[in-house]
Amino acid sequence: MVEQEIVSGHIQELRRGTVVLACLIVLREPEYGYALLETLERLGFPVDANTLYPLLRRLEKQGLLTSDWNTDQARPRKFYATSAEGRELSDVLSADWASLQNSIRTLEEGDNS
Amino acid sequence: MSTLTDRYVWAVIRSLPEKQRNDIERELRASIDDAMEARVAAGEPIRTAEHDTLLELGDPDRLSASYAERPSFLIGPAYYFDYIRLLKLLYVLVLPITAATVFLVQLLTGAGIGAIVGSVIGTAIEVAVHLGFWTTLVFAIITRSEKARKPVASWSLESLPERTSPRVGIPELVASVVFLLFFAGAIVWQQYNSVFTDASGSPIPVLQPDLWTLWIPYVFGLIALELVFAIVLYRTGWNWPLALVNVVLNVAFLVPAIWLVVNDRVLNHAFLSKLGWPDDLGMSVIAPILVLVFVGVAAGDVIDGMVKARRGAVARR
Repeated sequence: MVEQEIVSGHIQELRRGTVVLACLIVLREPEYGYALLETLERLGFPVDANTLYPLLRRLEKQGLLTSDWNTDQARPRKFYATSAEGRELSDVLSADWASLQNSIRTLEEGDNS
Repeated sequence: MSTLTDRYVWAVIRSLPEKQRNDIERELRASIDDAMEARVAAGEPIRTAEHDTLLELGDPDRLSASYAERPSFLIGPAYYFDYIRLLKLLYVLVLPITAATVFLVQLLTGAGIGAIVGSVIGTAIEVAVHLGFWTTLVFAIITRSEKARKPVASWSLESLPERTSPRVGIPELVASVVFLLFFAGAIVWQQYNSVFTDASGSPIPVLQPDLWTLWIPYVFGLIALELVFAIVLYRTGWNWPLALVNVVLNVAFLVPAIWLVVNDRVLNHAFLSKLGWPDDLGMSVIAPILVLVFVGVAAGDVIDGMVKARRGAVARR
């Protein structure tokens, strides 16, 4: 039995980059920070608020997201949306993810034969 | 009175660049309010909702550093090994030289043994602290500089250490350094503190005072080189090039030393006569003994180096 701490460490390591991909996909529809946090949580991408909020700004700085203040409602919120470049990157990352999945399946099938 | 949220937001934004502050403050406040609202909607009292929301966001300094993309470490992984290498080098080179210098200066000013040991240790600690502090400071600044994101000095195959055997240990290094310092100290000491004094009360040195014009400084130079050699030896262990350097250093001492002894330019005649020895005793008895000792010590040292270099070469094969 592998220790729980080791397991969660490796899982965290494996998932590290997937939050960015998930954000880029979810934000094809504009969303604000807290709502995005909940959406990601619900879809199985648990991420801490203190990781996500700075991450959104970093992605915006890299031109992958655009942002807009929505002041229509009582509480003004900053909405983020995936830019054209962000979409491009999310396609590349998705393709890479798929090819990784393929490779791993091949590895496992090779092991069984 | 400011709320906990006010204080938390202020703690986050106070160290951020001016132009980002407003935007981040607005967004962070909205996010905190959203999270609190969700907690209250789930049935939590408003007071604990604020508490828990802020606790979940964690250390404001960490969040602030994350917004500003500041490193949360003193010396980055890109520089860590350069930093350690430089520190080691500085300590190995500068500390012995400083200690040796302080030792000599104290000796020259005629301090007692307690004072000498005290000031050597005190200065060594002081210098060690300074070296550590300033090196760390410089590397911490480099880590925080925008542009530099690659190692200061690139690593290369040539910089790999030799695998050496037998190794030269700390005891050998200390023994060499202590002997060399003692030798240098003795030369200085005999000039100012002698068992005999002349009519005017000044001490009569064992060595001829003329030697100070050239040969004693020359020997001090050799001692400094030997100190460096001992440190290099400690770091790399014996090998053939070092054994050769050892021969050169020995010859550089031996040849002038024998020439001086044979020409009766070493021992002070005034000192010998104070001892009550006949004047010719110096040349007839002491000189041959000195030559014998010099040659013997040098030969032993050279052979020792060669044997160890050979053993090292065999071990590396």
